[in-house]
Amino acid sequence: MIGSLYLPGNTWLHRLPAGLKLAVLAVGSTALMWVHSPSLLLVACALVCLSVRWAGASLQQVWQQLRPLVWLLFVLGGLSVWSQGLWQALEMILRLLTLVLAALVVSMTTPLTKMMQVVVRLLWPFQRLGWVDADKVALGVGLTLRLIPELGVQWQEIREAQLARGLMPSPLTMGVPMLLRTLRRADEIAEAIDARG
Amino acid sequence: MKTKDIVLIALFTALIIALGLVPPIPMPLVPVPLTLQTFGVMLAGLILGPARAGLVLLLYVTIALLGLPVLPGGRAGLAVLAGPTAGFLLGMIPGAVVTGWLATFLSRTEPLKADSSSHHAGMTSQTSAWQIAHYALAAVVGGLVLVYAIGIPWLVLVTKMDFAKACWAMVVFVPGDLLKALVAAVVAQRIRRLNMV
Repeated sequence: MIGSLYLPGNTWLHRLPAGLKLAVLAVGSTALMWVHSPSLLLVACALVCLSVRWAGASLQQVWQQLRPLVWLLFVLGGLSVWSQGLWQALEMILRLLTLVLAALVVSMTTPLTKMMQVVVRLLWPFQRLGWVDADKVALGVGLTLRLIPELGVQWQEIREAQLARGLMPSPLTMGVPMLLRTLRRADEIAEAIDARG
Repeated sequence: MKTKDIVLIALFTALIIALGLVPPIPMPLVPVPLTLQTFGVMLAGLILGPARAGLVLLLYVTIALLGLPVLPGGRAGLAVLAGPTAGFLLGMIPGAVVTGWLATFLSRTEPLKADSSSHHAGMTSQTSAWQIAHYALAAVVGGLVLVYAIGIPWLVLVTKMDFAKACWAMVVFVPGDLLKALVAAVVAQRIRRLNMV
């Protein structure tokens, strides 16, 4: 089962309302795109690093999220040193790092339920217009999370059944039964939900 | 919207997440690893039709941004939006809609209905080879051209990389994506045909 990024804790960052954190992040990230002075960017980056500390994240947890990004930054940095010069490249890397860390802080200090509440609140005007039904959105999210491990099991079953018959797995022989079973399961689940009202 | 539609949307979202958990294949020199997600985007469009496929991808992106590590390599959270590859993620939403719309338009068959009584529609005179060709075209336009058309400018904007260079960097992915489109088309055609019986 997959876990969320949320780190349980009770720092002041955890206690801030989720909507406020998201709003600050949105405004701050947009503003940062227009900042070009290296010293200002350094200050912003230092502030964000400090708040990662305040959120109580261990270096290991931060590294785990940053690792896929590091080689990417490396490649991008190399490309922009080549096309725009060293200072531009450093500026770009510093800005990206700040943005990503800031977003990470919000994700780490806000539980999934709080995030969901913000989403539902943002959907409210649309619900008033009759375009969306927030309850159905919540049902969809819940169902999806529940079904991910189920699909993993299903994949394993098909794999084993084919191996037992000496079939080599290929995208076609896996894809078709996977989808057929998924569609059939959708029927069953829908019936079960309707039966319970 | 019927319960069946919500369940189908949730199941397909779970399927795309499951496909994304297969470890991505990092490519040299290019900041986007090769993954099976776009395969899921194409399949959703081809099988569910534009409206539901769009909702599937909307749900997928929402869950990723809420902080569940559903993106390839276990990345998640709002940090993704700040990263240079966010355009490819967001581009998947219109990508799936266009794939679904084009598939319906080109083959003049109805997308799979929640109501199983309408399976008599479509595919009266067309051979399955034509059907596959139409699906493949729809998958290429929606799942490849459109996703790139949003992803590349985003990459350029965030990294200030040269536009032509960014385009060249993406060429590496084209063979893989074309192959995915073809496999998705064959799988979708078989599913559609089986479902009509």
